[in-house]
Amino acid sequence: MAERLEWVLLAYRLPREPSGPRVTVWRKLRRLGVAQILDGLVALPADARTREQLEWLADEVLEAGGEGTIWLGRLGSAAQERALARRMADAASLDYKAVVVDAEAAAYEAEVVRRRTVARLRRELQRIARRDFFPPPERDLAQAAVDRLVEMVNVP
Amino acid sequence: MRWATRAGVHVDRAACAWLVRRFIDPDAAFVFVDDADEVPVDATPFDMRGVELSHHEGRCSFETMLRHFALDDPVLWDLARIIHEADLADDRYDVPEAPGVDVICRGLSMVLGDMEVLAVTGPMLDGLYEHRRRALLLGRDPA
Repeated sequence: MAERLEWVLLAYRLPREPSGPRVTVWRKLRRLGVAQILDGLVALPADARTREQLEWLADEVLEAGGEGTIWLGRLGSAAQERALARRMADAASLDYKAVVVDAEAAAYEAEVVRRRTVARLRRELQRIARRDFFPPPERDLAQAAVDRLVEMVNVP
Repeated sequence: MRWATRAGVHVDRAACAWLVRRFIDPDAAFVFVDDADEVPVDATPFDMRGVELSHHEGRCSFETMLRHFALDDPVLWDLARIIHEADLADDRYDVPEAPGVDVICRGLSMVLGDMEVLAVTGPMLDGLYEHRRRALLLGRDPA
């Protein structure tokens, strides 16, 4: 049987007001690609980087007058782990699909717009890849769509 | 003086150690610990949860150190943008070189121990500092 993953979890609570820190923390969690388990409980597959990033966020929560603790854990069954990984992959696949839509739309744009779109979508792909722990098939589709656009820009 | 930080050094800790040796305490000795409880009493901890010389209000530890020690060299603050994005990738700054610095440091920590990582990243950071210094003087990237 396959080894189950170790996860790192952040359990946190922030004061309702001011709303600034809540929004900042939420944005940073989204950028990290966390799975929201419950309100105030998020998880990532544990490695040196994810654990560190969540620890810094826990400190940020404390500095904003909230409570934050870091936990390490495993899912109780392989099926639950698959479901969680699937949920995270589905979220990433939506992001990749948006890249495909933008790349295809840019094919009909002027050359200068296309070039700008290539630069933006390449960075967007990097950003998604950083928060994508269970790459869905859409990742390759998005990469291929951007590659096609690159060819259109390079070949006159 | 003794300075302590977490084992498994990555870019922010490597840059802090470089900063300490070069600008704050030339005779600095570094200790690497797995848990905050293991920090020796005579050591100054950095880049660890809950200590002063660490992440605060979204700043990385290198930025915190620059503020704490009132280092206002603009080259160091320019370098801080690279370290911040290499460490946090939160898009606070637009620094295309940051992902490269990030993977170089991650790779080094896979093949070297913490002391060796500091030994290797020292000249790398010397070079980055010199590059940014010339860039600031020239107003463009130096050749």
